[in-house]
Amino acid sequence: MYAMTDHAGLRTADDDLLPPPDWGRPRTTAAGTRAVWAFAAVAALLVLGRVWIAPDLDGRSLDAWTTVFVAICVQALPFLVFGVALSAAITAFVPPSFWNRVLPRRPGAAVPVAGAMGAVLPGCECASVPVAGGLMARGVAPAAALTFLLAAPAINPIVIVATAVAFPGSPEMVVGRFVASLVVAVLAGWAWLLFGKGEWIKIPSRPHVDGAGRWESFRQAMRHDIMHAGGFLVVGGIAAATINVVVPAEWVNGVAGIPWLSVLVLAVLAVLMSICSEADAFVAASLTQFSPTARLAFLVVGPMVDLKLIALQTGFFGRRFAIRFIPLTFVLAVGVSAITGEVLL
Amino acid sequence: MTRAAQNLLLIMIGAAVMWITLATDEYLNYVKPGFRYLLVPAAVALIALGLTGLRREWRDDTGADGGGSGGGGGGDHCHAPGDDHGHDHGGRGPRVAWLLCLPVLAIFVVAPPALGSFTASRAAARQATPPPPPDEGYDALPRNGTPVAMTMGEFMGRSYEAQTGQNSSLTGVTVKLTGFVTPGRKGSTWQVTRLKMACCAGDAIPFPVVVHGLRQPPTDSWVQVIGTWHPPASGARSGVHELDGRSLQPIKKPKNPYE
Repeated sequence: MYAMTDHAGLRTADDDLLPPPDWGRPRTTAAGTRAVWAFAAVAALLVLGRVWIAPDLDGRSLDAWTTVFVAICVQALPFLVFGVALSAAITAFVPPSFWNRVLPRRPGAAVPVAGAMGAVLPGCECASVPVAGGLMARGVAPAAALTFLLAAPAINPIVIVATAVAFPGSPEMVVGRFVASLVVAVLAGWAWLLFGKGEWIKIPSRPHVDGAGRWESFRQAMRHDIMHAGGFLVVGGIAAATINVVVPAEWVNGVAGIPWLSVLVLAVLAVLMSICSEADAFVAASLTQFSPTARLAFLVVGPMVDLKLIALQTGFFGRRFAIRFIPLTFVLAVGVSAITGEVLL
Repeated sequence: MTRAAQNLLLIMIGAAVMWITLATDEYLNYVKPGFRYLLVPAAVALIALGLTGLRREWRDDTGADGGGSGGGGGGDHCHAPGDDHGHDHGGRGPRVAWLLCLPVLAIFVVAPPALGSFTASRAAARQATPPPPPDEGYDALPRNGTPVAMTMGEFMGRSYEAQTGQNSSLTGVTVKLTGFVTPGRKGSTWQVTRLKMACCAGDAIPFPVVVHGLRQPPTDSWVQVIGTWHPPASGARSGVHELDGRSLQPIKKPKNPYE
């Protein structure tokens, strides 16, 4: 159980869920065996680096890598800070009863309303998983809560502004992101309503954060989210800078030249990079070799499916939920963004 | 990651951002000038968050006597002394947060310079499309021989118009271009290049102009080239924009190295 008794309330359970204790490791491996594997992986990396990276490495490429890396981190930082502040404020100051008042009783109708609410309320994806868990615990239909979980990090105002800043002069990218993400969230919610079984999902129980110490709860939630999201932003920055500087341009151009492959590659990249939605538009904008549709797929998939979300969702709602919901979301996200890209971009 | 480490890390990130925006102009190597109005408040928020955390948690950790009589700025928290001790686990940050040290280290230790010829040559395969002209079209230019200072984007836009025969506003006009030197692809010629940034250095694309008739200065040095537009030798829409150089002056790197 993930008991949550501290100030930060909904936010802190995921600390010990990255990776969740039972995820991908059926038996406990002996420490010695793990060390051997770790060393084998390091050795393989060293060999690969020697073969591919060392011949091309010169001071200028190292400089360029560092510049791109710092640039992506620096420009994403303000959006991260303000987004996290707003979502922490919502967690700390919006009472949970509010959600039950605004959402319709019928689950089928509650799904699109929950999606639309995601457009108004900022929330980082790391925050939206616990928030969705809290909604379910307070009697909101799981399908509606899941729609909110998918929509909130993808289409909230901060993310939309960040996308507009990252893609100046192409409002169709902003519109495409908004429409595609909302459609995916609502479709996933309805699909869960139609086909989902109650026993698949483990609804977390959650004590209420009372009025006392709200500021304290706000402060802790904000710091916690910056630490989490910031760490993953750095991972994304490293990956983007490496693609920008190290990966041979011909490869990237080769992949980028095949439409379906480039969409799929960027979708998988979004999953692997696990960038916070407030920051991912800047990484997408830096992948200039790829088509707008592929970059849209990156923006739609990223906030809905990525490594940290897989870990978080498994931890909160159970493995039986995650192995069904995550593939569903991924397929929907790729499909809808490909169609939206065809129509809009 | 302990809470103290998290607070200190927040302060360090804030300080790094302050350093590149207020203390130096280094942020211009990474992002557009307007970003300072976002970066500074974000840095202030980070530092405030870290300092409040340090102050409160230090007070909590020094025991109940400190907890009750703290007073002052954080007065509106009704915070039971010792409340934190039971939930030490919840306050610990994730290990991935240590990665946030990397950009801070890079900013202070490496101070990465603006992108230059390396990025320009890597991105050369991608043909930069010239920026669209302003809605009312380009103005006419004086043809009296006085050099007209012009951005690379404007030169390429006008050159593109001239190549496609829409409007040859460049013919006979002396222009002055500012950029850094990149080696040309055919050996003999070289290019003066400026990187165009849509949002940050990560998406920079090169705007190169081939220079004829002048000796190549060292690669990556900044120059001002005065010359006239060179009509393309082959094909109207070559995508290559050229200049007959008349004179050249080495300059210091401009404050904002991007366009």
